[in-house]
Amino acid sequence: MADPVPAPSQLVCLGLNYRTTPVEVRERVAFPEAQVPEAVQQVRGLPGFEEGVVISTCNRVELYATHALDQHQSAHERLIGYLVERFELAPEQAEALVTYKLDSAEAARHLFRVVSGLDSMVLGETEIFGQVKAAYQTALGAGTTSRTLNKLFQQAFTVGKKVRNETSIQRGSTSVGSVAVDLAEKVHDLNKCRVMLVGAGEMSRTCAQSLLSRGAHSIIVSNRSHDRAVEMAAEMKGRAIRFDEWESALHEVDVIISSTSAPHFIIKPELIRDVMRKRRWEPLLIIDIAVPRDVDPQVNDIEGVYLYDIDALQAIADEGRREREKQLAACEQIIEEQLTKFGFTGR
Amino acid sequence: MPLDRQLLLLATAAFLAAVVPAVRALVSSHWRPNRQWIPMLIGFALQTGAVYLRGEAVGQCPMKSLSDVLVFISWSVVLLYFLVGPAYRVSLLGVFTAPVVTAMHVLAFVLPNAFPDYAQKAKIDPYVELHAALALIAYAAFALGCITGVMYLLQERLLKQHRISGLFYQLPPIQDLAKAIQRLILLGLILLSFSLAISFKLTTPISNPKLIFAWAVWGLYAVIGFVMWRHVLSPRQTAWLAAVGFVIPFISLWLVTTHG
Repeated sequence: MADPVPAPSQLVCLGLNYRTTPVEVRERVAFPEAQVPEAVQQVRGLPGFEEGVVISTCNRVELYATHALDQHQSAHERLIGYLVERFELAPEQAEALVTYKLDSAEAARHLFRVVSGLDSMVLGETEIFGQVKAAYQTALGAGTTSRTLNKLFQQAFTVGKKVRNETSIQRGSTSVGSVAVDLAEKVHDLNKCRVMLVGAGEMSRTCAQSLLSRGAHSIIVSNRSHDRAVEMAAEMKGRAIRFDEWESALHEVDVIISSTSAPHFIIKPELIRDVMRKRRWEPLLIIDIAVPRDVDPQVNDIEGVYLYDIDALQAIADEGRREREKQLAACEQIIEEQLTKFGFTGR
Repeated sequence: MPLDRQLLLLATAAFLAAVVPAVRALVSSHWRPNRQWIPMLIGFALQTGAVYLRGEAVGQCPMKSLSDVLVFISWSVVLLYFLVGPAYRVSLLGVFTAPVVTAMHVLAFVLPNAFPDYAQKAKIDPYVELHAALALIAYAAFALGCITGVMYLLQERLLKQHRISGLFYQLPPIQDLAKAIQRLILLGLILLSFSLAISFKLTTPISNPKLIFAWAVWGLYAVIGFVMWRHVLSPRQTAWLAAVGFVIPFISLWLVTTHG
């Protein structure tokens, strides 16, 4: 007697993200990185399940799996049941768990959109590509993927690259911090870039951290409260200087981020002209995020000095977001074409 | 049409094909290096073949007519573009190089008495050949310095006016461009200095206008090099000098070949 023909593997995705679920619930069901290998084994081990990949980031938790069950609905229910049991959710928490349940082409489309950064909080961001790749590698290493998920994720990476190469979805900056980094990169070699914070506000810390994360060479912090400067400098492995010393150290740095609460301009053209002479015309980027402004706008007229205040930074970030949104239709079209090419949707 | 000119026409078409993505890059700000690189490479291969055939015909480095000189300089410009572009992270140089090289080719074709046929091969004086070849490669370095100067001025303007989109993301950091200008001018100056030093060794006399113009060009770039070295001028002013200064060697080429 011939063996019964096994039912074909069917793809499902169960997920929750920053749109569907508040952070207090997301953090409750997030998988710590070290526990993901165990989690993918548990997903694959569910009755009727064959493969499993778990993506867990700060903005989303998604389970991709294949099953040989009669109905997708049962597969989704088993995955929800798994989350409830795994994270020991109380009945009211389980009830509050808002998830999206996708299958077949819908699941593939969703994964393609996620990898391309179209489902991200910051449209077009690239970090998610690496995060999905790492999640897939973990599952591959744990041996919980097979033909269907291997093929699906390889296709997703191809689509993600295609979307990024053929559109401008990742072009431009969408936050004040990333605008600061883009500007610094176009003025200097970031690896050699020395940054000075004049004033230790939250916004300047964000900008400085963005610069450091992209490879800025060093940070000097100066603040009216020296203790605060020391604290922030230590946090960023930089150097603190006293507030009466920052002017004399200006010529040593390539980027100045100013955010004091001074009621008048503290950086004036005479000061910067002197600095530029000492710098032998090496370009200087000044980011003024203080309100009222710290830097006299006439400083921008000095050769080699590029001054951006908070409105200019915000306008660039807004423009970046608009540009990315304009690219959305082109990205979706590429994804639809690829879904057809890979046989998920009809020609 | 002789094979050398056929190759040059094809090379011109290839460079023109590189201009199209260049213009699109400038307009849409979506630039992909390969679209520039491949036609430039094809154009360079065809150009090399044409320069070789012209050299074979004249029996020396093909620099007997203004058309040949323009082609030789454009060949050197493309060669330097391939050498300099990746080294100084100024790969977008191709976007600006392709139109210049295409224009030089078109000019070479439309000049009166373009690409004359050489009845007989000239007698080769290796010093003359080396002198001329070094001088023209130096001019190519100045041409590339001019193109880089234009890129610097563009990027500088975008930064000053807060126009942070499109081309801004494609252009290299302003500091890299400033360094590339300095190095290209230095390279050109060194090559031209060698070329002029060789001229003292020549047994075949060189016409006075040629030498005068060569020294004038050397003097101009020596001054630019000095002010760069001493930081007398700002990088923006240096970029202007590099961009506008190339007019002098360009005009001198015409004068030299018509008085040659």
